[in-house]
Amino acid sequence: MGEQPSWQDVLDLISQLNESDYESASVQVGDVSIRLSKNDAVFDAPTTAGRVGAQPRIETGFDTPTASATQPAAAAIPTAAPAAALGDTIDAPMIGVFYRRPSPGAAPFVEPGQRVEADTTIGIIEIMKLMNPIVAGKAGVITDFLVTDADAVEFGQPLATIDTSA
Amino acid sequence: MSDVPVILVANRGEIAMRIIAAARRIGASPVLAASVADKDSPAARAADRVIVIGASPANQSYLKPEQVAQAAVMAGAAAVHPGYGFLSEQPALCELLEEEGIAWVGPRPETLRAVGDKGSARQVAIDAGVPVGAGVEIDDPTNVVALGEQIGYPLLIKAIHGGGGRGIRLVTNPEELVELAPQAAAEAVAAFGNGALYLERYYGRARHVEVQVFGDGEGNAWIFGDRDCSVQRRHQKLIEECPAPGLSEKRRQLLHDSSRALVKVLRYRGAGTVEFLVDTESEDVIFLEVNARIQVEHPVTEEAFGVDLVAAQLRLALGLDPELPDVGPVPPAAVIEMRINAEDPNADFQPNSGDITRLVWPKGPGIRIDTQIEEGYRFPPFYDSLMAKLIVRAHNRDAAVAAATAAVRNVTIDGLKTTLPMHAYVLAHPDFIAGGIPTSWFGPVWEARKESLT
Repeated sequence: MGEQPSWQDVLDLISQLNESDYESASVQVGDVSIRLSKNDAVFDAPTTAGRVGAQPRIETGFDTPTASATQPAAAAIPTAAPAAALGDTIDAPMIGVFYRRPSPGAAPFVEPGQRVEADTTIGIIEIMKLMNPIVAGKAGVITDFLVTDADAVEFGQPLATIDTSA
Repeated sequence: MSDVPVILVANRGEIAMRIIAAARRIGASPVLAASVADKDSPAARAADRVIVIGASPANQSYLKPEQVAQAAVMAGAAAVHPGYGFLSEQPALCELLEEEGIAWVGPRPETLRAVGDKGSARQVAIDAGVPVGAGVEIDDPTNVVALGEQIGYPLLIKAIHGGGGRGIRLVTNPEELVELAPQAAAEAVAAFGNGALYLERYYGRARHVEVQVFGDGEGNAWIFGDRDCSVQRRHQKLIEECPAPGLSEKRRQLLHDSSRALVKVLRYRGAGTVEFLVDTESEDVIFLEVNARIQVEHPVTEEAFGVDLVAAQLRLALGLDPELPDVGPVPPAAVIEMRINAEDPNADFQPNSGDITRLVWPKGPGIRIDTQIEEGYRFPPFYDSLMAKLIVRAHNRDAAVAAATAAVRNVTIDGLKTTLPMHAYVLAHPDFIAGGIPTSWFGPVWEARKESLT
């Protein structure tokens, strides 16, 4: 494990705080300090990341990429270029079998090159016979699928690339 | 399918390392089902493959039966070992796997149900002729003297609909019982909407002694002696040993025979533990519960008898001979296990997490360390605080206590607060050295030590 927490570590902290009864938390890992709060009041300095819905605000001691949230490596690269240039990904929110079509033989939900909104269904993940629709989670143009139809995918595995600047 | 069976390890930390080692021992291929936080862990590196089943919090990964079952399917697993905690005693995962034709390393789902709640476990024990605690419901709170005599003193008045320690009163004589029973009934009505009460015998100075069993699933049992786990803080075990010290031959036989009877009644399959309360002020021995899984403290039994219980579990689940020996009731060695937790014993055992900057383990004959931690390991905040188990074997108990004391002194863990100072204190305490302390011993003794320091 590197000296700095990965972006995933930070996301995990956020989900921990969200589910807890705590109002705020502060974590020191090596020379990186992270403060999280559900309440704006504890921060007197402006933060690098904006407030998204009911998500806790985050403040980190290192440069925080704001758009490439799903690219775990991005946080560890201090000279990371703007997110869109790296290509953003849509990651599997669960383990299971990924399908690009609503049923065998049907047309795919979306094709590369197609524009999607955050709530556009891009596929289905089947877990133990339960079908779960998978939405893009962000608006943009799907540039490629990284898994083929009926592939087994793990939690967090990138399913597709998306150009959010388009 | 290849000839090498795949074992899916559905757990983390030291027990994941332990199951991986057992899989290697029997020539199987271990695959780890890991959360995001554990995908680069030492256990992940030790496995042949890692499948990420969910986010770091256990309730989004290790506690999700569908996600674990999906990983088992993806791994092409022949069997799934659930370890302890998490889903190990839940019929849900076991049944999902059954549908997929994947073996569960543990008892049948109906066994998990039968011993899974106190009421039905008590009934199973009664059916097997195993001694259970005296308990009786109160029909009329103004007419309780005869019931009190039936149970014996001291006893507890409990509200049937109470819970979490509420609605409990300790009574030491008939006069108190006559006075307190109507009060307790009135309070139970006010607090729980129901005044039903029962009386239960209270054991204030009892030991926790448990028996290691291994069933073949047909009613036959191997009995691998007993363990004493009486060094506890708030029902959390801190130190365990095998054999339980100072048990009379008669008591030991009662414990072992009772456990054998339970295995037979349940047609118990695989490794399990039968827990008993052994009173130090009377001859009473009371059944507590069956733990239908491998336990944290299984290594003391393995070291004392020279067996590999986890490998035996895997072999049995794969339909093979578990390759276990028949042994006598008392092992030829004495073994002590110290649980090293990431907790500060001088700050109310508060857990802490962070980077382990330096780590040195003691070496020498009879020393075993079951752990996932290593230098540079970042101890995560998401899971329980067990870092490592230090297990020390010697030819008798005195030698084992001396060897354990030396071993504890020779551990270095920098970067986190640990329970090591607590172990050093207990191992040097004359009560522990004498053996046979009750579970109520540690709490006040540790508090008194703190006060003597300030």
